[in-house]
Amino acid sequence: MTNFTRRDTFRIAAGGLAVTGGLVAMPSILQAANYPSRPINVIVPFATGGYNDRLSRAFAPYLEKELGQPLVIVNKPGAGTQLGNSYALNQPADGYSIMCTSAAPYIPLTVLLQGAPYKVEDFAMLNLPSRDYTLAATSAGSEIKTFAEVIEKLKKDPSSLSIGVQPASADYANMVLAMQASEIDPTKLRIVTYDGGGPARNATAGAQVDVGFVGGEGFLPLKTKVRPLAIFAAEKVDWYPDAPLLAASGVKSDFVEGSQRGWAVTTKLKNEQPEIYKFLAGAVERASKNPQAIEALQKQELATTWFGPEASDKAYRDNAAKMAKYVDLLK
Amino acid sequence: MIDISAFQDALGIMFSSVGSWGWIVPGLIVGLVFSAIPGISITMAMAIVLPMSLYMDFFSAIVFLTSVYTGAGFGGSVPAILMNIPGSPSSFATTFDGYAMSKKGEHNEALGYALFASTICGIGGYLLLLLVVEPLADIVLRIGPVEMFAVALWGMLLLGSLGSTYISRGLLAAAFGILLGTIGMNTAGFTRGTMGIPVLLDGISPIPAMIGLLAAGQLLSLAGRDYIIEAEGSREVSVRRILKGCWGTLKFPGVLLRGSIIGIVIGAVPGVGSSIGNLIAYAETKRTAKDSATFGKGNPKGVVAAESAVASAEGGSMATMLALGIPGGGATAILIAAFMMHNIVPGPSFIETQKPMVYAIILNNIVQAIVLLAVGIGFIYVASNIVKVRTRYVLPAILVIATLGTYAVTGETAGPITLFVFALLGFALQRYQYPVAAVVVGILLGRMLETEFLRSYQLSGGNPLYIFERPGALAIIGVMLLSLGMTAWGKRKQNRAEAEEEAAMLRLQQEDAAGRAGSHATKT
Repeated sequence: MTNFTRRDTFRIAAGGLAVTGGLVAMPSILQAANYPSRPINVIVPFATGGYNDRLSRAFAPYLEKELGQPLVIVNKPGAGTQLGNSYALNQPADGYSIMCTSAAPYIPLTVLLQGAPYKVEDFAMLNLPSRDYTLAATSAGSEIKTFAEVIEKLKKDPSSLSIGVQPASADYANMVLAMQASEIDPTKLRIVTYDGGGPARNATAGAQVDVGFVGGEGFLPLKTKVRPLAIFAAEKVDWYPDAPLLAASGVKSDFVEGSQRGWAVTTKLKNEQPEIYKFLAGAVERASKNPQAIEALQKQELATTWFGPEASDKAYRDNAAKMAKYVDLLK
Repeated sequence: MIDISAFQDALGIMFSSVGSWGWIVPGLIVGLVFSAIPGISITMAMAIVLPMSLYMDFFSAIVFLTSVYTGAGFGGSVPAILMNIPGSPSSFATTFDGYAMSKKGEHNEALGYALFASTICGIGGYLLLLLVVEPLADIVLRIGPVEMFAVALWGMLLLGSLGSTYISRGLLAAAFGILLGTIGMNTAGFTRGTMGIPVLLDGISPIPAMIGLLAAGQLLSLAGRDYIIEAEGSREVSVRRILKGCWGTLKFPGVLLRGSIIGIVIGAVPGVGSSIGNLIAYAETKRTAKDSATFGKGNPKGVVAAESAVASAEGGSMATMLALGIPGGGATAILIAAFMMHNIVPGPSFIETQKPMVYAIILNNIVQAIVLLAVGIGFIYVASNIVKVRTRYVLPAILVIATLGTYAVTGETAGPITLFVFALLGFALQRYQYPVAAVVVGILLGRMLETEFLRSYQLSGGNPLYIFERPGALAIIGVMLLSLGMTAWGKRKQNRAEAEEEAAMLRLQQEDAAGRAGSHATKT
């Protein structure tokens, strides 16, 4: 081998440590030195075919190259990621199980609303490249043209428009916050609940409901069937440039960032095996910056942006904190 | 309507990619085998092969996956007919008459009927799709909660045709099933009846529950017998008789047509899928048939109706997927993922820019349906040999396979546990003569009934007059009431005719008696 990768240097260094340590070498260091010596499981707490499943499969070849071991995608869907999250926490903290998941808002939501037996802090982010935002939209043929119109109509009569939204979601919290900021009583609204983003989007595109509040990314294939009214983001969203920002409609309201999807591990691994954690973060970074990976994933409308563990963790915890602050709105 | 130049380009794609045709037969076989295993649904079969398709080029991958879809649509009916255990929820209605035919020794014919109905309606569904893929998709998007609630109600009417000794127990069983169907988190975010078990947040998984319920009943009735079919002479497997069944399907064009229309429309509606289409098609066919009394006792029309709806639902579901990029059911969700993994996003822009490809996919599906006929006969021939095996070997094997099937796909013990709990439940229901089928219908429809009713209520703000703003819902309810009224009218006429006949007979008897008495009197 002519080009020394970081892993090789690390291996040699750790190996040397083990040799000098002799028989008293700590088993965790030995573990780290040989890591990774077998295939690594990627736990996806969603069914085959969802965003995280596609992300994990599309990104796997590039990550495998950096890790030097094959990745095995393990789908553990159910109970709003609670089953997959519990499964991940039950795995030994040896670096052979990593997660590809919509960390926010699913982990905070399972904790806040489902009484999941873990804490938000039990998960440590490696990188969360995909960021989704709540989009208020109406069907392409609708008479409503702007979000200001929606607010105006609802101010006059809160039941004049029907609103499609997924209960106990970031979208729901954003909808209620926007209404409260506009002095509209949310309890008087005609809210139609959908058990997923997909059905809520279909109802919006098919004019079943007058306005839908759903994650914007999923609307992309249906772009021609809907009219974006307001996106709940601070800055212009590059994947949906025609969506006006919420602030542009004159509504001054706090909002929760939508889904944050990407790569994570358990905090236990981060604390007990810092070397493995660093190695994993490095591998994800190099794979995320690989031009081939960026091109291949872009074609599938999958994100590769590198934010890094610190920024990703901060975004995730900020989201969790905001969710906790507004938890009463979700119940 | 159809775009001729795009159609010609599509033929070009079809013939220039003959290599990908090679994936049709393996795909069909994978679909047939997986879905014939009780416990593995069409969606699961496709989820298993999805990662494999990553390594193929785009058209081959789509051909392979849609072949699995086509094969799986029919495969579930094989155990439904031979053993009264549906391979997947979409073949539940096939058990009613299919298994009854098997018991009479007509399993060859029953499978033939099912296969041919599947093939013809599969082709029919896709031909229609070729013509109306875009308008159909737009109609589908307009179908809202009120319409869906009407459809779910229509499905519940099936209960009336299940027939049970006690009406009260039938209704109680159905209500129990609906309650079971609403376990978990509902569409408004409320959690009911989960007993703190996280797995139940998504509701009871219908497949292990259904197999548990039905298999327990089967155990009771089969364990006492040596073979599935009692008469030794009937335990033959004959291609001639399978073909006879195939041919016989053509005698029921009306049933095929009705089944197809119901299947396409319901299959196209996102989130419903074929498991409800077959129930409605069966119930409608039975209600409108002149010989409705023989349904459930081995009437081939029951098999044809159920299977035609399942097969044509595939076309409907594909329409929604291709034109809107919205999955009609689990299987098309997997297909969308396969498209995306090959950098293609189905939806309005795909159909506009890549029309030849859309046509080529549809045409290929028609070819698959034709190939299914040949592969299907072979598959039936092999699978039918199960009737020659003693039940003491078949039953344990089926139970083991079903248990593994519910475990293998997700690797969770939740599947086998559900199977076991529901097997006990099924045993108890059978023991006290509650109709198990009514519970299954309740589980399959309960969630949809509740969800759509709740959304209708939310949308209307509680105003029942809202329904007059939804012409579609009014039309569905109108057709439903008309169909019910006609049946009632027909029954009444029939009853009156029977009563008259009886009265006439009675009169005749009386006259006869009187005449005899008279003659007696004259004699004395």
